Amino acid sequence: MSDLALIVDDSAVNRQLLARHLASIGIDAREAVDGRAALAVLAEPDNDVGVVLLDVVMPDMDGYETLAAIKSDDALRHLPVIMISGIDELDSVVRCIQLGATDYLPKPFNPTILAARVHASLADKRMRDLEVAHAAEQAALLQTIELQKEELSRFLSPQVAALVSSPEGQLLLAGHRREATAVFCDLRGFTAFSDSAEPEEVLGMLREYHSKMGELIVRYEGTLEHFAGDGLMVFFNDPVPQPDHVERAVRMAVAMREMFAGLAARWARLGFELGFGVGIACGYATLGRIGFEGRYDYGMVGTAVILASRLSSAAAADQILLNPRAHAAVEELVDTEPVGALQLKGFARAVEAVNVLALKAAAAATTS
Amino acid sequence: MHEDAPVLDRSVIAELRESVGDDDAFIADLVATYLAESADHLAAMDAAATAGDAAAIMRPAHTLKSSSAALGALRLAAIARDIEMAGRATDAADLPARVADARATWAETLREMAAAGLTK
Repeated sequence: MSDLALIVDDSAVNRQLLARHLASIGIDAREAVDGRAALAVLAEPDNDVGVVLLDVVMPDMDGYETLAAIKSDDALRHLPVIMISGIDELDSVVRCIQLGATDYLPKPFNPTILAARVHASLADKRMRDLEVAHAAEQAALLQTIELQKEELSRFLSPQVAALVSSPEGQLLLAGHRREATAVFCDLRGFTAFSDSAEPEEVLGMLREYHSKMGELIVRYEGTLEHFAGDGLMVFFNDPVPQPDHVERAVRMAVAMREMFAGLAARWARLGFELGFGVGIACGYATLGRIGFEGRYDYGMVGTAVILASRLSSAAAADQILLNPRAHAAVEELVDTEPVGALQLKGFARAVEAVNVLALKAAAAATTS
Repeated sequence: MHEDAPVLDRSVIAELRESVGDDDAFIADLVATYLAESADHLAAMDAAATAGDAAAIMRPAHTLKSSSAALGALRLAAIARDIEMAGRATDAADLPARVADARATWAETLREMAAAGLTK
């Protein structure tokens, strides 16, 4: 709503007459006796002025100065200014139009000309305001989308966040089968720690652990399925295919173990003994949307997931246990030691797992 | 040459009245505003003429010219216009005489306005 006119004229007769003419065409007016008073009105927030009627010759601050001030103010530059001018002042009108005035109104005032010029200026102003509002809406919308993506990627892995905002993502979400590598990590001694420590200490420590591990998950482009207390599950090769998915999983686990060593040393000085264990299994699984309306996860379901979870439970502090299939994929990259045939809950046959000691020198050299 | 212009051009008043829908109360208000404002401008012009300040006389003369013309006081408007131009030309020599002329014409204008039934 900018149907308010600002009359700037030092003559009270002219102001009164203009206000009257404007009122007869449904336009309210405010009045200012000179340029300074006019700028004070325009500086009011939400002043609703849609057009300025500006006299040229005024005491204190004249029409030229006022016009120049309006045109050099970013917030006012597009406000239409109609110069009020006597027939003997047309030279000054030309100068004002060059300075950015929209139009001029000759004296004595003709109500029909006044109505036409003021309406035209207000229409321009409304159009301009609409354009500005539209641009602002567009910008706000884009910002919201970006913000949602950002928020989404805070809760989901970046890959899944990108996936759900792409068209082909809908197909993948429906569920599909492929080979993938599951990684489970959790902390040894965490239950004892959380029983004895203050809740604030537990939360603070978890926050630090999650944030450090989160960085590594992102660096190796794993898909985080969930964080649960001290445990976390990440998988590779889905939704984005990764030919080197086992390698990525193992490299990430080794990096996590190193990262954890730094954290654990500090916690140890506070009296908390915590260890880090990892289970990695490669196998076929079903991946896609899991859950119920209102709360879905992008998840991985299959024997490999259960196996990785069991291996993680079986791992001692600092161990990274691989199932044979995962081991076979990275044999050239890592030094391992056998940990024997593990009898794992839910698995009829014993699993010949290995523990990753370190990346081989050549593999370590290519670490990103 | 100012005598060529009518003290009060009733056709201007007629147009003005028509443009505000024959609202006589508004015209009376407007004339009252004019009387108060023009008295102020004449006082300012007097002071400037007495002080020989040509620059200071321009603006009140300009405004007096403009509002007088709006109400059909064309002779006063013409005198005020000449004073404004003399001020612009920094010609202060005969300003007191010119302003005295303006004041006399102003008084005449008021009488004609009253006669035309424009004053309350």
